[in-house]
Amino acid sequence: MEYLATGGQSGLREKLNILADAAKYDVACTSSGVERKGNGHDMGNCINAGICHSFSSDGRCISLLKILMTNECIYDCKYCQNRCSNDIPRATFTPEEICSLTIEFYRRNYIEGLFLSSGIIRNPSFTMELIYRTLWMLRNTYRFRGYIHVKAIPGADPRLIEMTGFLADRMSVNLELPTAEGLQNLAPNKHRKTILTPMRQIQQGILANRQEIAVYRNAPSFVLGGQSTQMIVGATPENDFQLIHVAENLYQKFGLKRVFYSAFVNTTNDKALPALPGGPPLLREHRLYQADWLLRFYGFRAEEILDEKRPFFNVLLDPKEDWAVRHLEFFPVEINKAPMESLLRVPGIGLKSAQRIMAARRCGNLTFQDLKKIGVVLKRALYFITCCGRMMYPVKLDEDMIVRNLTEKKDRVQFGSDGMTYRQMSLFDDGQFQRPVSPAEALQTAVGQL
Amino acid sequence: MIVYRCEDSLESIFTAVYRSYEERRNHAETRIVLDDDPILFGEDVQIVPEMEKVMKVMNTIRRRFGEEDYMTVCEALATEDPEKGQAVYQTIVYGLAHRCLPGHLFDNLANDDVLKAFGLARTAWREIHHLMGFMRFRELENGILFASFAPKCNILTFLMPHFADRYPSEHFALYDERRGIFGIHPAREQWYLQWGDKAPKLRYSAAEKLYSELFREFCRSIAIKARFNPKLQRQMLPLRYREYMMEFDTSQSQADL
Repeated sequence: MEYLATGGQSGLREKLNILADAAKYDVACTSSGVERKGNGHDMGNCINAGICHSFSSDGRCISLLKILMTNECIYDCKYCQNRCSNDIPRATFTPEEICSLTIEFYRRNYIEGLFLSSGIIRNPSFTMELIYRTLWMLRNTYRFRGYIHVKAIPGADPRLIEMTGFLADRMSVNLELPTAEGLQNLAPNKHRKTILTPMRQIQQGILANRQEIAVYRNAPSFVLGGQSTQMIVGATPENDFQLIHVAENLYQKFGLKRVFYSAFVNTTNDKALPALPGGPPLLREHRLYQADWLLRFYGFRAEEILDEKRPFFNVLLDPKEDWAVRHLEFFPVEINKAPMESLLRVPGIGLKSAQRIMAARRCGNLTFQDLKKIGVVLKRALYFITCCGRMMYPVKLDEDMIVRNLTEKKDRVQFGSDGMTYRQMSLFDDGQFQRPVSPAEALQTAVGQL
Repeated sequence: MIVYRCEDSLESIFTAVYRSYEERRNHAETRIVLDDDPILFGEDVQIVPEMEKVMKVMNTIRRRFGEEDYMTVCEALATEDPEKGQAVYQTIVYGLAHRCLPGHLFDNLANDDVLKAFGLARTAWREIHHLMGFMRFRELENGILFASFAPKCNILTFLMPHFADRYPSEHFALYDERRGIFGIHPAREQWYLQWGDKAPKLRYSAAEKLYSELFREFCRSIAIKARFNPKLQRQMLPLRYREYMMEFDTSQSQADL
């Protein structure tokens, strides 16, 4: 193992390269959940929706300065490229370096805040203390008010985790693998219990802090943005049902804000790991996120989406369509009368469209034309809805026919060998509100002036 | 038909809205237009902005429909659509006639004018939100932070409060290249706008090169090769923003971002 020279600009650059590279498989890079106005003299504020500052060439957002404190680690987890038996260059940031990088990047509006994780040096408590010292310096010496996401190290002293929680906006403990057996096989130094203990501690801390803030408005806030976790998908033989079942439990019993799924990328080529010749399981990850949204925003339960008899996701239909074609007795739904819960179960109607429908139908009956304008994807929804008692076309509610139409080749989500080609739904997606092309621009295009 | 001819500004359009009520026009037979194209059987009225009337319209919208819907109206008027005046005018008329409650002005999306105004506001909002993230400040020799950008909508006034809140103790300036407007924020003071034709000659500080290069390398290290997906990247970060973002500036280094 080689140690890099500390200090100097080239040293800093190499360190940043190594430690950003080491952190990139951590997927939680959101800056949402906290609304904090500036105080008029210190730098930084937070926006509830979160802000993406850039996008890397894999299409993932760069919102936080995502780095490890160090990539030295005493553990030997088989899936992790920083495992102690892996021969890679190692580096460690000093707290000052992290603080000045964060501040200088933040000043130039490159980032929304800091995401700090770490390999384990010496022991978990020592590592956690280093993280705590860094955050303390950033908040108190550098007076930084931006977003901070920090990892709680399993097995660290609970007092250190608590103190860190008062400085951070979001904390996360990585579950890594959904089952205890998987964890035992691939991460012999980690135990299910040591992972769940800090998770429970943070949950209780957040609950207690909420009570405290209600009484004392200026009490220090504890992990205001909630806690999140991450599971690796495809490294162990768990099925999709187990994954979303675990996720549902985490949401209900541990009050988590987000569960992230990370398609497994084989970096260590360990013999205990599956070879993935077709690249990381991106479609599976995509379906898991779709199901995750159904759990959190659409009132679905894990058993409704999948069950023991059908433990894997449908490749062609998304989880909501899949549920809908298996429950045709629930449809058609009358747009002008149905309650919110029923609207949310219709494929092609999202949370925003459902809210807009609820608001718009107070002013008068809606037609299919209106739905189209509001942003409903009629291509998917038309089999499941009626407006004023009429369907859009005379279609029969027949499972085979609907599946055939929903999976027509041109409409199907295409997953080519060159990676995903689906369109990511985003906050900014509502195809209805594009600016129309003006005649002048059309003319310019035609004569090649544009 | 009465045709109010406005210039492309919020003040002018609000004045026209006020005058249509003041002169007791039939709103269905009244139009607010921004261009000079003649309209058959139209009776033209030129609008000169009057601050008193503008303030009255502003206050009415705020009081009747709430702060949030007022911001939505302003966002719709920040776009460059030639129909925006008419859409906003008819939306306000609709809201007042139907006694929409605060926060419910844009409920009835089945109405074409409301939908149009709402869509315009979304266009502007989307660009505001994008630029909150994609704006890149560069440090000048004298420590001032400077960022230039070329938005489609006139959104400088929406961005200034955000950055003033974020960097209260920094001297910084935003420059809208398309319209030649500077937004200037002296440290710990109120920000203001200034009109000027061309960007001044800039000299960057010594640290600027170091940090922009560090960030460029960070962007490269953070990408996962196995998930390479430039199409998704382009969808999330449209090319027109990249001209002003130094991590995509290939002239300095041949980074394959």
